[in-house]
Amino acid sequence: MKWQRWAIPVSGVPVLALLAWGLTRDARTVPSPLPGKPAPGFALQTLAGDSLRLRDLQGQVVLVNFWASWCLACRAEHRVLLDAARRYQHQGLRIVGVVYNDSRDNARAWIAERGGDWPNVLDVGSHTAIQYGLFGVPETFFIGRDGRLVYKQIGPLDDGVVEQWVPRLLAGTPDGMGAPTTAEHVTEGRSPGHVRISPDFPTAGGTVRRQ
Amino acid sequence: MGSRWLVTAALLSLSLAAAPAAAQSPDSGLEAKVRDVAASLRCPVCQNLSIEDSPSQLARDMKQVVRQRLAAGETPDEVRRYFISRYGEWVLTKPRAAGVNLSVWLLPLVALLGGAVVVWTAVRRWVRQGDAARLAAAPGAPALPASAPDALELRARKAILQASLQELESEFAAGRLAARDLAALRQRDEAELATVHEALKRLKKETPETAKPRGEPAAQRSPVGARRLWSARLGWGAGLAAFALVVVLSLRGSLAPRPEGGTITGTQFSSGPPPGDMEPVQQTGPLDSLRITQLEARVRRDSTNVPALIELGHLYLTQGQLQKAVVVDTLAIRLQPDAEGTAEAFAHLGMILWGAGQTEGALKALDKALFLHPNLPEALLYRGIILFAGVRDMPAAAQTLERYVEVAPLDANLGRVKGMLEAARKASSGR
Repeated sequence: MKWQRWAIPVSGVPVLALLAWGLTRDARTVPSPLPGKPAPGFALQTLAGDSLRLRDLQGQVVLVNFWASWCLACRAEHRVLLDAARRYQHQGLRIVGVVYNDSRDNARAWIAERGGDWPNVLDVGSHTAIQYGLFGVPETFFIGRDGRLVYKQIGPLDDGVVEQWVPRLLAGTPDGMGAPTTAEHVTEGRSPGHVRISPDFPTAGGTVRRQ
Repeated sequence: MGSRWLVTAALLSLSLAAAPAAAQSPDSGLEAKVRDVAASLRCPVCQNLSIEDSPSQLARDMKQVVRQRLAAGETPDEVRRYFISRYGEWVLTKPRAAGVNLSVWLLPLVALLGGAVVVWTAVRRWVRQGDAARLAAAPGAPALPASAPDALELRARKAILQASLQELESEFAAGRLAARDLAALRQRDEAELATVHEALKRLKKETPETAKPRGEPAAQRSPVGARRLWSARLGWGAGLAAFALVVVLSLRGSLAPRPEGGTITGTQFSSGPPPGDMEPVQQTGPLDSLRITQLEARVRRDSTNVPALIELGHLYLTQGQLQKAVVVDTLAIRLQPDAEGTAEAFAHLGMILWGAGQTEGALKALDKALFLHPNLPEALLYRGIILFAGVRDMPAAAQTLERYVEVAPLDANLGRVKGMLEAARKASSGR
């Protein structure tokens, strides 16, 4: 009889422990294995018809921005990119737009209307998007001078994110010394290698992903 | 011109038939592997859908990557590892049985075992109580042998002894008993009571369950009460079994792979019919898609199943998938060129040919259909329409449409056809 009296409370302990562990985690955090690793390379055609290789930009700070003309959040984000280009391009920042799931004509018209002199490449078949573990657009990847991916922004960029990363990455030397490439630097106060989805961010599928 | 709608609809359908007929090709081992791997990968832009189930573009592109990698010789595990290296373990629909994830696999097992223990002890208790009740209820139940003292018997004995002691007191008080006799009798009863107490205590230590009867003492239960008790237990047991059955069945349903093309989640928005009360172009919905999936599977298993091929042809046609319709209808015709059932396949081809602008071929196909099945409504309708709007042979059109009206299915919307028939009659009499 004794063991039965204890069975229920004792079996509740692991359940409570599991709840305590699960409920104290940020459900919006999606672990990404990419930060800290070399950025996946790509060679794609630009909207102008030239070919662009990520490897040719090695040694520079690169901001790879996935976008689409049908993406509403990308419109708001575009201003941030324009600002970043104006402020940092002369210091060596390179922005590369990757047009995701869209046509060349639509993308061209979009750029013609909204401006931006950085190259945009077409990702036919979304191979590059998948290489970058893309969830939806917009997403932006910060690549240091040593070619390592240091930060992944899911959802639209804001000035704060740009200010947080770009100056530090630009200050790094070409061989990566001084560039914040370790997981601790990458995540700043968050658990290593994690990215955060901005709240209420409408992704391509109109969904918010939860871990 | 009352019939231009059909030309428009047919041309529209032709342009919609973008899906390559190659989708019909029989499954190779690679495709089965692709489906397997795709079902194990989570779609990033959906909620709880695998890339196999998701209709989204990204999922399709991911599935293509899966196909390419498998075709290049990678193993399914290597392909999964690639996606994990891009999206993290999040991308797996089934978490790997390691680390914290293990709890997902072990907890149900633990719960199952715990439940089994609870049920086992409960059933044991029920059985014991049931036995005791039956025993106590039996009229003139024989005393148990001393070697196996039963708690019930002991408790009954205890009650009798206590009552007897009380009776002695009252007899003595009433003056019907001498003080000497009282002392002797009391000593005897109290001694026995002490032994009974001892025995009860021993029994309690040995079998804790029986020592704690719930509700009324079992010794006082009637046979009716016992029967009621058992039927209650039976009811509970049956209810429990039914609940388990429901859980198992619903789990089976939700864990089974989704049928190909089945409704993914909620109600899918299906494009409604084009405006106008036309009947050849029927309203299509998720049910049709489901039926198409079923039939496609059937045809894949047995490509000589003519009735399935013809029904598939009909559904493809109503959905505007003309190329696919041509493939299955031609196959059906090749298999059974002279069967009455093949008439429908000829009718479909006639309809498609006319849509493609080949009036002559269309009429030939429809004539063949009507030769095989003189009253096939579709063939009559299509032939009437072509004669009316294409060849402009009004008397023949009127004749064919008249026959159609006679044999038209009950649910057909005849408004348009009757308008056409009227016009054809007027034109032929005006000649």
